[in-house]
Amino acid sequence: MLDYAEPVTKLIDEFKRLPGVGQKSAQRLAFHILRMPEQDVARFVAAMEEVKRKIVFCTVCNNLTDVDPCRYCSSTSRDRSIICVVEEPYNLVAVEKTRGYHGLYHVLHGSLSPIRGMSPDDLRLQNLLPRLRPENNDGIEVREVILATNPNTEGEATASYISRLLKPLGVRVTRIAMGMPVGSDLEYVDEVTMDKAMANRHEM
Amino acid sequence: MLLESLEAHCFRNLSGRVSWGAGLNIIYGDNGQGKTNWLEAIYLLATSKSFRTQKPQEAVRFDEELAVVRGRVARSEQVHRDLQVAIQNNIKTLSINGKRESVARYLGQLHVVAFTADELEVVRGAPEARRKFLDRGIVSMQHAYVQTLSDYQRVVRQKNRLLQDAADAELSAAELAARLAPWNEQLVALSAAIHRARADYVERVNAVLERRLFGREEVSVRYVSSLEGKGDLSDYETLIAERLQFRMQAEMSAGYSLIGPHRDELEVLFDGRDIRSFGSSGQQRSALIILDLAAIAVYHSWHNEYPVFLLDDVDAELDRKRINQLLEYLEGRTQTFVTTSKENLVEQYAARAEIFEVREGIAELLAAPDGRISTSSKDASSI
Ligand SMILES: [Zn+2]
Repeated sequence: MLDYAEPVTKLIDEFKRLPGVGQKSAQRLAFHILRMPEQDVARFVAAMEEVKRKIVFCTVCNNLTDVDPCRYCSSTSRDRSIICVVEEPYNLVAVEKTRGYHGLYHVLHGSLSPIRGMSPDDLRLQNLLPRLRPENNDGIEVREVILATNPNTEGEATASYISRLLKPLGVRVTRIAMGMPVGSDLEYVDEVTMDKAMANRHEM
Repeated sequence: MLLESLEAHCFRNLSGRVSWGAGLNIIYGDNGQGKTNWLEAIYLLATSKSFRTQKPQEAVRFDEELAVVRGRVARSEQVHRDLQVAIQNNIKTLSINGKRESVARYLGQLHVVAFTADELEVVRGAPEARRKFLDRGIVSMQHAYVQTLSDYQRVVRQKNRLLQDAADAELSAAELAARLAPWNEQLVALSAAIHRARADYVERVNAVLERRLFGREEVSVRYVSSLEGKGDLSDYETLIAERLQFRMQAEMSAGYSLIGPHRDELEVLFDGRDIRSFGSSGQQRSALIILDLAAIAVYHSWHNEYPVFLLDDVDAELDRKRINQLLEYLEGRTQTFVTTSKENLVEQYAARAEIFEVREGIAELLAAPDGRISTSSKDASSI
């Protein structure tokens, strides 16, 4: 016999499919839903359906968007000669928040990781190379590709793989620097970060 | 550094708080009373790990949820730090002076060198145990090396999976080479960092090795890079990059990583012969003690303070003559913790050590060099 009535069990099972949700959390969420007013549940369901219906991958940069091409790709005020490559849409948001970058983006939706079954074929890379041709970029030549993948072994491997693809095309390929968090004292920086910052020091 | 006191709650069968002596501490008791548990608690406080189990929760007393080990460490006369390790739901939380800290910041506050039955693998087991001995020593001087090692292991795992899956994926040799390149590139840089750190550490060890502490036989160590004899080791990056290129086909057929410092070896020689194959069990123990003392001396030359030395079940591991030579050497150097079930060892050192007797997890001070003697653990803790 099931612990709970069938509809409740079904809901718990659905929650358990979500990342990071175990049996206990799934139960808690399911019972929370049971206690919610009906119109709140309806709004929640509508929001999930809407996101699935309206959000697509931008065919140019793979960013999540409700218009294709996305707002960055179709903007007339952005610098079309620079492309910043990131792993996930939320990495794009992080770069964008700096307000200091005005180029275009390319979202890979992952990083190279044989352990997790992520090969170059599983990254959204196929549409990156064609973007470098002026005829696909409003007649503008891309002069720099910034690799802003994560500073871990998978992010490094991804950056290295892409730079090997792009270098023969003659485009400038750069990697974001790793090191000190700004606004903190040297003494509070952990040794690994300090070590990286020392290794990546630059001429003044 | 000095571990002034230690307090344990629901960690195995331990309870209460103990004030330790600054020199030799002998923890004495019958088997099963918990003397090694105290050593394990000190080791946990220092390293955040146990030398007995990989699963933290195993050390939490049966029927309890939370185990806490807390200790006060003196880094100098003026500087004291309260360290704490709490274990709950198989998760460890670390804090310094009551404030939660990351592992990276926590480690190094209390450094221990531990001679345990497990550590004997260094002189009798597979090369991995000897690489770990080197890496522990390097980490004690350079914490960022932990990241280098873990990145290296991660890259090797990724590369192994790539090589393993390549057969099924029916990739062309050129495509596989292109996919290997990003991992090999990192492998070159990380391998070079590991190689240099290990070569440097072995040089330091050799400089301080008490080769003849226990007699006429001479102990020596030699770092044998897995690339030895393959070319110019002083330009390691170029050499390993060449080897990776040259052996790529072999790695593809093997289906795993064949090149890198995960295949390094540390030779431990006893009178010029490999201790692992030719040493008697007693010689192996002597050699390991000498290696541990070298690790202590290297640490001291780097930090200008001594780590804490732990010796589990000392008389099961060493004969009396060697115990005496060892304890004499350590006197005036490290704060030392020794467990024993032998009463005569206790009698011999009664005037020169703090003696604690452990019964059902409670450690009671029996005798101390300054004459402080107590009849209950409560009194001992109030000092
Ligand atoms: Zn776009």
